[in-house]
Amino acid sequence: MVLLDHLASGLIFSSIIVLGSIGLSLVYSIADFANFAHGDTMTIGAYTSLVTFGAIGGLGGAVLGIPFGFFVALVVGMAMAALVAIVTEKVVYEGMDVDSIGLLITSIGVAFVYRAVIQMGFGADAVRYDIQALRPIEWLLPYNVRVTEHDVAIVVSAAVLVTGLHVLLQYTDLGRKMRAMADNPDLARVSGIRIDRIKLWTWVIGAGLAGAGGVFLGLYNLLSPRMGFNLLLLIFAAVILGGIGSVYGAMAGALLIGMIHELTPLLSQLGRVFTFLPEGFGLPIGNQYGSAIAFVIMVIVLLFRPQGIAGEAV
Amino acid sequence: MSRNTRDNIDRRTLLKLTGGVGLAGLAGCVNTTDDGGDGGDGGDGSDGGDGSDGSDGSDGSDGSDGSDGDMDTATPTDEPSGDGGMETYQIGMVNSLTGSLSAFGERNKRGMELALETVNDVGVAGGELDIVVEDSESESQGGVSAAQKLVNQDGVPFLIGAVGSGVSLAIYESVVQDTDVVQLSQNSTGLGLTDFPGLLRMSPTGRTQSTALSNIIAEDGYDSVALTYVNNNYGQSLADAFVKAWDGDVAYNQPHDQDQQSYSGVVSEMNSSGADAWLFVTYQAEFATMVNEIFSSGYEAQLYGADSVSGDDVLENTPEGSMDGMKIVVPSAPVEAENYQAFAERFENEYGEAPTSWSAYAYDCVITAALSIAAADEFTGAALQETVRDVTRPDGEQVDNYEDAHAILAEGGGVADLDYQGVSGPIDLDENGDPVGFLQIQTVQDHEYVGTGFIES
Repeated sequence: MVLLDHLASGLIFSSIIVLGSIGLSLVYSIADFANFAHGDTMTIGAYTSLVTFGAIGGLGGAVLGIPFGFFVALVVGMAMAALVAIVTEKVVYEGMDVDSIGLLITSIGVAFVYRAVIQMGFGADAVRYDIQALRPIEWLLPYNVRVTEHDVAIVVSAAVLVTGLHVLLQYTDLGRKMRAMADNPDLARVSGIRIDRIKLWTWVIGAGLAGAGGVFLGLYNLLSPRMGFNLLLLIFAAVILGGIGSVYGAMAGALLIGMIHELTPLLSQLGRVFTFLPEGFGLPIGNQYGSAIAFVIMVIVLLFRPQGIAGEAV
Repeated sequence: MSRNTRDNIDRRTLLKLTGGVGLAGLAGCVNTTDDGGDGGDGGDGSDGGDGSDGSDGSDGSDGSDGSDGDMDTATPTDEPSGDGGMETYQIGMVNSLTGSLSAFGERNKRGMELALETVNDVGVAGGELDIVVEDSESESQGGVSAAQKLVNQDGVPFLIGAVGSGVSLAIYESVVQDTDVVQLSQNSTGLGLTDFPGLLRMSPTGRTQSTALSNIIAEDGYDSVALTYVNNNYGQSLADAFVKAWDGDVAYNQPHDQDQQSYSGVVSEMNSSGADAWLFVTYQAEFATMVNEIFSSGYEAQLYGADSVSGDDVLENTPEGSMDGMKIVVPSAPVEAENYQAFAERFENEYGEAPTSWSAYAYDCVITAALSIAAADEFTGAALQETVRDVTRPDGEQVDNYEDAHAILAEGGGVADLDYQGVSGPIDLDENGDPVGFLQIQTVQDHEYVGTGFIES
């Protein structure tokens, strides 16, 4: 089945987009602006883990083809992304007395600074983690599904992180306060919630997840200074599709956008997927239009459901 | 309720902004990407073929150009009478001595100087050759002024120029087209120049890569190819040329965008096309990503590529053994030929570094000019038009150096008796004014590029 393989790669790509879009959505709901530096925050996570992994090495064993040391590097990458985001918030955004559009433009500037610093340190060329590349998992090949253990690790790690976030939001004090603040900041403040502290935690969680997304993106592909920025438009599509500010919407949106992006090749070979269509049937839409189609579907969904998948009804 | 309303407005504003800013960001990216300086980037519109020049870039870190002041003041010569005596035959050259292509200009200048020395050691039809050099500043405007000065004031019948394809074309269209003057570009590789038969050039077009690849793939016994190319002028033109040259079946032929974070769709489509030979016309970063996806998907195929997919970056960023057996064609001087090695040795003695193919092209421009002067009945543009192509073309004795070539003409031989083989390749200017491409085939063995032969196309 051609379809299964495409669904599998869709799931892997979606996992990365999910990690990016949650952070973007969280920051939007709490800090109230669209953070264009979010993609480059992902890049920071990726490069930090590159350096960390290079320094500490594999640390002995490995799980799913990934050395233990890489998981340490992942955590360091997330921490660095969070740290950079907090410093940026404190130094740049917090003291800036402009509206959300002003902040948005500012964040584009911040994105350029992040990228420039990375480019100065590592050059413009692509690099990769020093991890043995893997061949596809043998026992899945008969089903025509070609994924490596690394791909499985990406999906599983993303699932763990997303579940962790869900638990945090639903069952902890911090999560309740964050949701309260997202709903109504003024009411949250008069109820005695220290909104500044919550805001900082939001940045930590959002940027940390973005950092993890960047690390996995680097593992999935290669690391380059523009890796995060190149993915940012798709992440925005996912967030808007899901309903801006809604974390669960962002997850659903990311899954949908990632799937559409990876399923686009099937459009030109529909006959091979659906048996009721003639064998050679296909729409003349090439793979290069993957992003365009993802946006078209986003627009169509928004036409019928302007608040996005999980947004509140108006 | 009020919150909800605001939310909605925000979303709309954001949608607009996302689109707008995203586009602006993307537009800006174009520059940032290209600044990476990787040679593979030949996106420069009209001059797509220059992308391949990248491979030469590595060996050229030339800074400024030497001064040519003395040559600019050369005095115009009298009407040559052609009946012996120490005649001075004056031709012109438009070079990129300053501006963005000055590194090429520097190499051209060195190739030109060596050639001039070679020619004047032997002489041209009993006289000597003189070249007036003008600077194009690597711009069309500067190139046209330089050519106007050479053609209208100095009255040269033979003009070597220019480096950039856009500049060469501008000169041809505004100065040369309606005259008898022969224009021979030393370094322009843009595909568009083929449409102007009157504009000759020494450097082969990018198109020769496509025909060479189609020959190699056919020779390897494949009758079906899956082809993907980078979605810009460079990729499109090479892909089109390949499809035109390829007799077999093209099972997959799709572009892909640059800078995507996933190309798994492309490679899986290539796999499901059923073709066993996969051809890539793209850049290094994109290709490295694809190789990784081919490897991690466990696909098996014979890979082929244009020269823009080869580079140390690709080797470093792909797993060991993932590309073994891949074949790439790279425009090249005939580095194993005797005349090139003699040229390279002289060049190194003179300038302390190895020549690039760009110097070889300039060298051959001057030699070709001298030979066409020696073969012509008189020193006029019209007469040179008759001889310039034929001194390089087959039918006639193959000669690989100026001295022997000139001897044939001096002994009364005509253009039909001579087939000059340049240091840059066989030349053989065709009816479109394009030379035959001379390319090296490189095969990936043990994750290294190894030269495994040469091919003409």
